[in-house]
Amino acid sequence: MSFFLSSLVILCAGALLSVLLTRSRRVSGAVFLGTLISGCCLGAAAAVGVLLRPGRIHGDYRWNFRMPLGEFRLGLEPLGAFFLLAIAVLFLWAGIYGYDYLKHDGKKNVSVHYALYHLLLIALMLIVTAKNAVLFLVAWELMTVSSYFLIVFYDEREAVRKAGYLNLIATHTGTFCLLIMFLLMGHHTGSLNFDQMALASFPLPLAGVLFVLAVLGFGVKAGFIPLHIWLPHAHPAAPSHVSAVLSGVMIKMGIYGLMRVILIVKGFPEWCAVVLLLIGMTSGVGGVLYALGQHEIKKLLAYHSIENIGIITLGLGIGLWGQIVHNEFTALIGYAGALLHVFNHAMFKGLLFLSAGSLIRATGTGEIDQMGGLLKKLPWTGHLFLAGSLAICGLPLFNGFVSEWLVYRALFEGMFQFKLNAVVWSSLAIISLALIGGLAAACFAKAFGAVFLGNSRSLDITRVKENSALMRVPMAVLGGICVWIGLFPAMMVSFALRGAAAMTASAISPATEEMIAAPLKTVVLVLLVVIAVMAVLTLFKRISMRFLPVAKAPTWGCGYSVPTARMQYTAASFAQPLLDIFRNVLGYQVKGNKPKGYFPVEGKISSRVTEASEDFIFRPAFELIKSVSARLKIIQSGYTQLYLFYIFAFLLILLIWKMV
Amino acid sequence: MGIGVLVHIIIVMALSPLLLGIIGKTKAFFTGRWGPPLFQPYYDIGKLFRKGNVYSTTTTWIFQAAPVVCMAAALASSLLMPLGGLKAPLQFWGDIILFAYLYGLARFFMVIAALDTGSSFEGMGASREAAFSCLAEVVLFLDFIVLVVLSKSLVLSRMIEGNILSSWPLFGPVLLLTGASYFLVLLAENARIPVDDPATHLELTMIHEVMALDHSGWDLAYILYGSAIKLFVLGGLFVNILVPFHGLSPMTQTIVFTAGMIVLAVGIGVVESCMARLRLNRVPQFLIGAFVLALVGLLVVLIKA
Repeated sequence: MSFFLSSLVILCAGALLSVLLTRSRRVSGAVFLGTLISGCCLGAAAAVGVLLRPGRIHGDYRWNFRMPLGEFRLGLEPLGAFFLLAIAVLFLWAGIYGYDYLKHDGKKNVSVHYALYHLLLIALMLIVTAKNAVLFLVAWELMTVSSYFLIVFYDEREAVRKAGYLNLIATHTGTFCLLIMFLLMGHHTGSLNFDQMALASFPLPLAGVLFVLAVLGFGVKAGFIPLHIWLPHAHPAAPSHVSAVLSGVMIKMGIYGLMRVILIVKGFPEWCAVVLLLIGMTSGVGGVLYALGQHEIKKLLAYHSIENIGIITLGLGIGLWGQIVHNEFTALIGYAGALLHVFNHAMFKGLLFLSAGSLIRATGTGEIDQMGGLLKKLPWTGHLFLAGSLAICGLPLFNGFVSEWLVYRALFEGMFQFKLNAVVWSSLAIISLALIGGLAAACFAKAFGAVFLGNSRSLDITRVKENSALMRVPMAVLGGICVWIGLFPAMMVSFALRGAAAMTASAISPATEEMIAAPLKTVVLVLLVVIAVMAVLTLFKRISMRFLPVAKAPTWGCGYSVPTARMQYTAASFAQPLLDIFRNVLGYQVKGNKPKGYFPVEGKISSRVTEASEDFIFRPAFELIKSVSARLKIIQSGYTQLYLFYIFAFLLILLIWKMV
Repeated sequence: MGIGVLVHIIIVMALSPLLLGIIGKTKAFFTGRWGPPLFQPYYDIGKLFRKGNVYSTTTTWIFQAAPVVCMAAALASSLLMPLGGLKAPLQFWGDIILFAYLYGLARFFMVIAALDTGSSFEGMGASREAAFSCLAEVVLFLDFIVLVVLSKSLVLSRMIEGNILSSWPLFGPVLLLTGASYFLVLLAENARIPVDDPATHLELTMIHEVMALDHSGWDLAYILYGSAIKLFVLGGLFVNILVPFHGLSPMTQTIVFTAGMIVLAVGIGVVESCMARLRLNRVPQFLIGAFVLALVGLLVVLIKA
């Protein structure tokens, strides 16, 4: 706990100093880097300390500072510690990257941005350690406000301002649900401290109501479909290192909040687990389908965050189901899968956003369909983007596979041990997960292929140069973590199990842990065989190439002698077959005039995907609110006398009510 | 275990092209020809091993890595599957997931290698492969679900052993439905008629073959070899599901397994001789048909259980 508190103090000091030292960019930059590195390292150390020794009681810190209605009470538990680890690691590397990234925005006031970055970090650290509902909500607000200012860094663009505003409104709507939820909890238990709340038992109907409020409130932040509308706008608008932390850890606070509520309330009706599985399926499949239809790199990545939230929610759902039917084994695997995916997603999505930023910095655009052939120009960015792509698709050798394997396994275990309806829901979830995997692979083959392979379509890439080392190193570290967990998953899996054990409120026996982790050792063995076979095959081929002729030639054009780079398959055309299959879900439209006649003069074609929830749910809803408010305008006349009359009438009503 | 792995790899490598030879012979029989010799696939691969490479100036190392990944993944997946009396050298709880995802890894690399050439034809093939494999993977997992529910095991080799034998009397129709659905996936995954035509790659309607258009020499040999191994492994799984030979002596098991493989190869040959390739927009419907077959199987299991 002392590590954690000193980390908080350092970060607060860093935020303050950055603002005070606005004059000198160099000094405030140095302060930023210094406090960031020391703060994050201390935070990560505190988290690892808790995860290594879960049995020990870890500090419960209380500050004698009475906030109205609440108290300043922090505690570092395995569940929060696991999230803290992801937060500290990602904020550290994204921050170092951001320090260099912002150097090129000469005129902006970067010092304030540094301070806000620290504030967001402090907010997230408080959220995962808060032990009081009021403190939690205060930290939640701090997160919302600081993330708003981070998003609108490029506020000269209208789209950015709109995106920031949308984020603010959406999160506040969510907070409204959370407020009611915590009030209900406090009313029932008589305390706003999480520990006391957890001691009480909740009747099932109340638990159901709390669950719905939690899903609505936290779901907005997490980006559950259809509550996700702010997310695909906000993430592309922010500077890339901010997108990385928003997508990597901030939206996970929704997941943390949900887990925290499950931890407090414990007993839920069974339909809650079904709802979580359903949300997981729709967000997972929906997210990746929308991503397929996107041709701007950061927007595509933003939609993939929704997809991964879906996968995490599948793990949560099956974990909750296991908990409800007292099947702790399944619950453990489900929760562990969800938690590990939280960490993994923070790493590979962080990596992908950072490399997308590096790409945009180098080329000046994020439009996939203009690019091509950049792997030769941007070898670091390109290869690290490839590593991130392989990881996010859940392919073996990388970390995404490990957590997806756990989620799959929990779903399969659910089929053995539960009743009939569980088998049906688990099967549906497994099928969705398989579909998500296939679609994600298609989407990242599209993104990586169109940007980095082939030839450039319409962008002049002759002068494109790789970015500075300070931007490359953080990406390389994150990529290294992805490979490390992919090949040596033991440590992170045991950490995730500690967090999961906190959820089921049970100590895991070594035998149970062995049953869960042992298969992963054989996974590693198979992967080592894959690597060995690849090495042998490559070696043989290398030797053969010494004796056999090797020639260079242009790509074979199938007899067509003057192919141009514009003839390559674009991202839009690559995704067309899949989008066409799902056209009814996506509202996929292709417009354009095809070339006509033997000597066609011109032709053009464009395709787009409609956001159903934005166009059919939220826009009409907001229009409705607007028209109702317009009608209500008649009571606002501006006369003081009339307002006095309102007050008088209201008092009268109250009096009559009291008398009756 | 190390020796077991080696033996398995050697057997799979030695036998897998033979399956293609049998398919070729069957097709030749149906067209009234003698056809190429049974060992023609071996000669083809051997010839490619003696050829040099031509690399497009557009390509990067990914173009060269894809064939290696393709073959390595196929070989590794074979380690999870028993071959007749020979047990799978590597097995663990949940290996079916890795089994499916290894092919995903190979496919991802083949697709990006096709995009690496910058050729519109290969891009076309890559796009179609990515689209259809999504659907095929879903059906494959649904088949796995049926088998998992039947056998109560997540281990590939245990899933297709003992328990299935005992479920034949009760769940015969389910196994037939799942087998039929799996056979359709097998055809789609291995780029056979009616989903794809392995005989040609220049028509614009082709999928898998067109992705390997620019590969030559050793790279092409690895791709062909990898595809042969994939057909062998997925085909072996089919035989394991449908032929209840477990519990016999290892020798008999091996003989029955071998016979089953030959029948499967002839079966694929017959399908290829009797059917035309489907129009591309029909392929999703074909896979949805396979999905429905497996779904009916699953429903029957759930109602009976």
